[in-house]
Amino acid sequence: MASEKTSNLEYAVNQVPPAGHLLILSVQHVLLMFVSVALPIIFTSQISESTEFGSTLVAFSMLAAGLGSIVQSAGLPFIGSGYLCPNVCGPSYFSVSLSAAWMGGLPLMRGMIIVAGLVEMALAPVVQKLRHVFPKFIVGLVVAMVGVSIIKMSVNSIFGLEYKGDAIRSTDIVIGMVSLMIMVLSNLWGKGFMKIYCLLIGMIGGWFFAVVLEPEYFFSLSKVNTMPLFALPVIGPEFRLITFDFSLLIPFVVISISGSLKSFGNLLAAQKISEPGLESVDFVPIRKGLLADGFSTALAGLLGGMAVDTSSSNIGLAGSTKVLSRWISVAAGIIFILLAFCPKLTVTITLMPKPVLGASIIFAGCFMICTGLLEMFGEEWEPRKTFVVGISLIFGLSTAFLPELYARAPELVKLFFTDPLPTTTILAVILHQILNLDRLAAGFKQKKIVS
Amino acid sequence: MRFRCRRICRQSFRFLFSAFLFFITGCQNEYRELDLGMYQYRDTRDLVRFVYNAAHELRQEGIQGIESFRSEISKYRTRNYYLYVYAIDGTNLFHAGMPELEGKNLFYVTDKNGKQIALLIKRAIENPENPHGWVHYTWWKPGKFYPVPKSSCHFKVTTPEGKEIFVGAGFDYPHEEKEFIRITVDDAVNRLNHEGAAAIEDIANPLSEYNYRDVRVFVFSQDGSALISPVVNEQFPKMNIVDCVDEVGHKPFQKALKRLRKKDRTWEVFLAKSRYQRGLIKKCLYLRKTFLDGKDVYVGAVTDLPQPP
Repeated sequence: MASEKTSNLEYAVNQVPPAGHLLILSVQHVLLMFVSVALPIIFTSQISESTEFGSTLVAFSMLAAGLGSIVQSAGLPFIGSGYLCPNVCGPSYFSVSLSAAWMGGLPLMRGMIIVAGLVEMALAPVVQKLRHVFPKFIVGLVVAMVGVSIIKMSVNSIFGLEYKGDAIRSTDIVIGMVSLMIMVLSNLWGKGFMKIYCLLIGMIGGWFFAVVLEPEYFFSLSKVNTMPLFALPVIGPEFRLITFDFSLLIPFVVISISGSLKSFGNLLAAQKISEPGLESVDFVPIRKGLLADGFSTALAGLLGGMAVDTSSSNIGLAGSTKVLSRWISVAAGIIFILLAFCPKLTVTITLMPKPVLGASIIFAGCFMICTGLLEMFGEEWEPRKTFVVGISLIFGLSTAFLPELYARAPELVKLFFTDPLPTTTILAVILHQILNLDRLAAGFKQKKIVS
Repeated sequence: MRFRCRRICRQSFRFLFSAFLFFITGCQNEYRELDLGMYQYRDTRDLVRFVYNAAHELRQEGIQGIESFRSEISKYRTRNYYLYVYAIDGTNLFHAGMPELEGKNLFYVTDKNGKQIALLIKRAIENPENPHGWVHYTWWKPGKFYPVPKSSCHFKVTTPEGKEIFVGAGFDYPHEEKEFIRITVDDAVNRLNHEGAAAIEDIANPLSEYNYRDVRVFVFSQDGSALISPVVNEQFPKMNIVDCVDEVGHKPFQKALKRLRKKDRTWEVFLAKSRYQRGLIKKCLYLRKTFLDGKDVYVGAVTDLPQPP
C-alpha cells in the first residue's frame, strides 16, 4: 500500500536526485525561503542601526537558517525529522525580538532567542506523549490551518502591498495572477521538467513580466550594481555579547510555545506528504524535528541572527511538485549559507517583485489546505467531530478576522487567542477531550467491571 | 522528438536566464534626478512623479502646456488626486479638481484651522530642505462638505516665457512619511540657527508649518526641560523629556541623546498603544542637536511608522 502511494512521487524522501536536478530544485526552494530575508532588513531599520550591522544580521540569520535546514533534513540519529522542511527567519519572533533589542540591544535579543530555542527543545519530548490527543482528523485540521495561516502574507504580497493602507496597482494584480497561472498550469499541464520546476518557471516568468510591465521593478534592480559580489560579515561589539533579562521571559516563552505548535503543524504536513502510507502519526520524527527546530532557534541566537522557524511554503511546494527528497532541503541549506556571503545575489533575490512572491506562497498554500482537508475527512465522520472542528475553526479564524476585538480582550484570552493555527490547535485538542468525556468514563467503567 | 523538445526547453531557459542577468546589470532609473528613496509609501512616490511630470511639461511648453492639461483632463484628475497650477501671487491658472477656482486669487485663503495655504506653499518651494515642496493643511473633496487632512507636493516652474508659477497635487488622509518630519525639523533648526530665540514663538505657533495633524516640532535643552513642549502649548516645569519612557520601558530620548554625542541628527523607534490593535504600534522620533544662545538644544518631532499590511 505504502509503496503504491510513494510510486506517484517524482523524488521520494530518501531518494537523491541527480546533481543538476538537485541544484535547480534546491534553488527553487531557496527562492521561496528568501521571503523571510526581508525580516532582518526591516529589523535593522527599526532599531536605527547601520547598513553594516544590517548586512551582518542578514548574513548570520541566513547562516542559522541554512544550518537549521541541514540539521532538520540530513537524517541525523537524534535530531531532525529527516523530511524536506527547510528553516527560514521566523516572523512570529519579530515583535518580541524588537522589544528585546530596544531594551538591551542585540546582546539581549540573542540571549532571549537562545532561551526560546531551549524552551522549544524542552517541549519536543512532551509532544510524543501527546499522541492520544491528536487523532487523524485533528492532524488534518492542523495541517489545513498551516495553509490557512499563510493567507494574510500571501494575499498582501500578491497585491504588491508593502505597508498597511498603501495603494494597490492594477499592474501588480496582473503580475501576481499571471505568475500564479504560470505556476499552476506548468504544474497541471507540464510533464517532467515543466512540472517539477513549475515554481521556478513561474517566478522567472513573473519577474520578467513585472520588469516589462512596471517600471518600478525594473529601476529597483539598479541597486544591485552597487553591491559587492562577495563580502564577509563585519562582527561589531554587539555581536560579541549575550545577555538575559528575566522580565522578557514570559513573552519569549509564549512565542516559543506558539512557534512549536506551528512547527508541529509543519512537521505533520511534511510527514503526511512524505510518507502517505502511514496509517497514524509517527511521533518519533516529529519529536526529532521539533528538537531540531529549537536547536536552530538557539543556534540563531548564538550566532547573532534572528530566530528561525520551519517554512510552511516550502513544504507546500514539495507537496505540489511531488519532489520530497530531503537532500533538496540539505542542498538548499548549503546554498543559503553560501549566499549569506554574496550580497549581490542576496540583494537581487530580495528585489523579486512582491506579487510574484505572493503567487508562489499561494501556490504552495493550496496544497497544504487540501492535504489537511483530505486527511480530516478521510475517516468516518460523527457529530462530535463537527463541533470539535467547527468551534475551534470559528474561534481560531476569528483571531485573523477580528484582531481589533482581541486587542481589547482580557489578558488571559489574549494569551491563548493569538493566531489561527495555535488557537485552532489548542481548542481542537481541548474540545476533543471534553466532548469525549462520556466515552472515557464508559471505558473506565468497563475496565472496572473486567477487573 | 522528445529529446529535441527537451533541448529547446533547456536552450530557452538558458536564454531567459542570460537575458535576465543582462536586465539586472544594465538597468538605470529614468527618474535619476528625482530622488524618491526617502519615501516609504508607494502613494507618495506616485504623487511626486505625477507632479514632477506635469512640472516638466510646463517647463518645456510654457503656459501653453496648461491647454494640453485641459484637453486631457482625465489624466490630471485621477481617483486619488488632481493637479493644480498657480501663479506665484496665488492666482489659480488651472484646477483639475475644482475648475470653478480658476482665475481667482487664493493667496489669503486659510484652511479651517487658520493656516494660510498659499503662503505655506510659497515658503515650501523656496525651502532647500523641502525638495518636493510638501505642505500639510485641511481642505475638502470636490463636491463634498466635510474637511479632510491633506498633504500636497509642489514644484516651482519658471516657464520659457519667464513666468514664475507653481504646480502641485495632494492626497487626502495622507500617509505619515518620515520625510515629512525630517523636512519640518530641519527647517526649524535652520530657523533657530539664523534667528535664535526669536524663532521659538513661530515654531510653537499652531498655525505655522511646524505643527500639522498630530505632528508638533518641540525643542528642549540638555537637562530635559522643554522650550516647546511636544504635547501642549503651555510648559509644565516638571516634564523632563529625557526620562520619558515608551510602552515597553524603552527611553527613546535618552538613547537618541547618546547617539547625538557623535552626530547631529538621529532617528529612534519606540512603541505606543493603539486602541484598535492587538500589539503595540511603532512610532519614530527624529531629533537634531543645535545651539541656542550658546547652549546645546535639541529639536525633534514624532510621527507614525508604516504598519505591516
